[in-house]
Amino acid sequence: MQSQTDSKRWLTASGIPLKDFYLPSDIPDSHRKVAETAPGEPPFHRGAYPTGYRTKPWRIFQLSGFGKPEDENERIKFLLEQGETGFLMEHDRNTADHLYNVDHPEVAARREDVGLTGAVMQSVRDIDICLKDLPIDSTYGHAGGAVVQHAPFALAGYWTVAQRRGYDLKRLPGTGQSDYFLTYLGCVTKQQVPTDAGLRLNADIIEFCNEHLPRWVPVSIAGYNGADSGLNAPQELGALFANAVEYLEEIKRRGRMPLAQAARACGGVSFRISMDVFEEASKLRAARLMWTQLLKEHYDIADPKVSNLRIHVVTAGSRMQYQQPLNNIVRGTLMGLAAVLGGVQSLGVSGYDEALSIPSEHAHQMSVRIQQILQQETNIAAVTDPLGGSYYVETLTAQLIERAWAFFDEIQRQGGFLACLDSGWLHQQAAENQHKEFLAQAEGLQQIVGVTDHTDDISPFEVDGFMGVDDAYDVALERLNTVRRERHEAGARGAMQALEQACRNEDNIMPAMMAALNAEVTLGEVGDIYREAWGDWATPIQT
Amino acid sequence: MSDVPSPEQNKRILMAKTGLDGHWRGPTIVATALRDAGFEVIMIGMVKAEEVVQAAIDEDVDLIGLNIGGHIDVAVRAVQSIQKSCQGVPVFAGGVVPPHAKRKLEALGVEVYPPGSQLPEIVSAARRLTGLSGA
Repeated sequence: MQSQTDSKRWLTASGIPLKDFYLPSDIPDSHRKVAETAPGEPPFHRGAYPTGYRTKPWRIFQLSGFGKPEDENERIKFLLEQGETGFLMEHDRNTADHLYNVDHPEVAARREDVGLTGAVMQSVRDIDICLKDLPIDSTYGHAGGAVVQHAPFALAGYWTVAQRRGYDLKRLPGTGQSDYFLTYLGCVTKQQVPTDAGLRLNADIIEFCNEHLPRWVPVSIAGYNGADSGLNAPQELGALFANAVEYLEEIKRRGRMPLAQAARACGGVSFRISMDVFEEASKLRAARLMWTQLLKEHYDIADPKVSNLRIHVVTAGSRMQYQQPLNNIVRGTLMGLAAVLGGVQSLGVSGYDEALSIPSEHAHQMSVRIQQILQQETNIAAVTDPLGGSYYVETLTAQLIERAWAFFDEIQRQGGFLACLDSGWLHQQAAENQHKEFLAQAEGLQQIVGVTDHTDDISPFEVDGFMGVDDAYDVALERLNTVRRERHEAGARGAMQALEQACRNEDNIMPAMMAALNAEVTLGEVGDIYREAWGDWATPIQT
Repeated sequence: MSDVPSPEQNKRILMAKTGLDGHWRGPTIVATALRDAGFEVIMIGMVKAEEVVQAAIDEDVDLIGLNIGGHIDVAVRAVQSIQKSCQGVPVFAGGVVPPHAKRKLEALGVEVYPPGSQLPEIVSAARRLTGLSGA
């Protein structure tokens, strides 16, 4: 029943109608039995592990990077000193996302942009500088390669550096990302390989890691990038699992590794957590249950080691406001809290200056401090799934699952996740939600403090954004020319030919990519090989 | 719906992205709002300064909207090219524009709508900049 005291309709952020309060009878019958399971037991909605954060605090894992590789190295060291417990490498997006070297005309025309959102890494030498003195043998590292077409280069670079330092790849911990939601949905590049070529790259990475890097999480589907483009909570869930099905079907088709191993490899995912605290916490609970269900029902996989989903969360960048930016420290805290209540394994809190720039050192430190305060001062790490049994949260979890499977089914009806990216249908769903949200703001139905309300701030711009460095382009160009001059040219040419061959036939490209990085083949050269072999994706939207 | 064309239907707005950053959420929302208000909107995506100028001339536009996702100097170069080659065509901008960058653009006569700007505000700016309403 709707509240009689207020004409406003009470809904979750995704539009699920809310009652004044919840009773045991509100929990759907189908969910009631499930709700009585313990954390660490299938279907895992109550948590991946029974002892939760007592035995393993969530990983503090902040995205970082800018400028030259040494600038990024310095920032990563700063974050580790501040208490970060894993580190991420962010590669310059102008070059990395497009697989262009800095002297590509599209990059050179915007030279000041280079290094603004990640360090420029065009060869294994740059990656080596970025990783200087970092304990990559013992610390969980994110090698970059968030973008599908960039991942093989970024991963092979990281692994080559590890090998040169004498580390055993079999013991190397870490992840890449290779995420479809990023550049095929949320942040579409100017030029990238078609989705089917991307699928082949991801399957190659999964198989290669299965054989050579068992401790590495080969791919990580990032619902975040869909959600921050406009997909709502059940859509984010449904699309993420539709994406996982594409990987599993491809691995099954190729038949080179056990499917359960592939499912294990796909079971480290990331979600966005936004401002609707209970819907978002419920979403993570729903995700774990859905993964268990999907593997059991579609693939007959019930091994609990495979079906307990591990979740990384990044708090919603789009919810960090430009106006009165210090308010974002509170938003980051609340979103971080929702993520922890939902049972994350790993968390990144967006910088309070997110709407202005990449994080300043201070904003980065605050993101770490927020997490440390949550871990050390609030006692929320003491009990696993503290929301379990709440009539409201269990009901919401069940409702999200139902709506998410409906969205998943719709994607399957339209030919699957990749087909829905190719057709632009997912973009359309995201765009419709965004549009509705902005109309709601204009009509006063959605209020944002400091933006639509309480806008009379006395010092609205006490934060001016991080300025970065101004020599990233020049240094990158000089280093690119040095590599070209100094490398063993015949060796590099041979490695490029071998990579080209691997792209054109059915071989796994990763051994050839490792050889190419070792022979100092550059980023743009890899891009040229891909473009020649596979051409460009026909972008379904106009920006 | 009336068959009489609105004055906005005769006004053409070019929208371009100055950087190689493909976030499309902002420009798409703005384009939808401008189209809903009756304007004709031409989107050309991630382009270099000279491509914005060429498109503005070819399409004979009344207003140019720039989505800025990178370093302010890149955007400033685009604005300067437009002002040199498309005299009299006003420019407005949005995107990730920190205060220091906003001031630089405003000094060039560019109206800036940073994140958090409301759609009615942007639509009314488009009307004013295309001469459909007073200053």
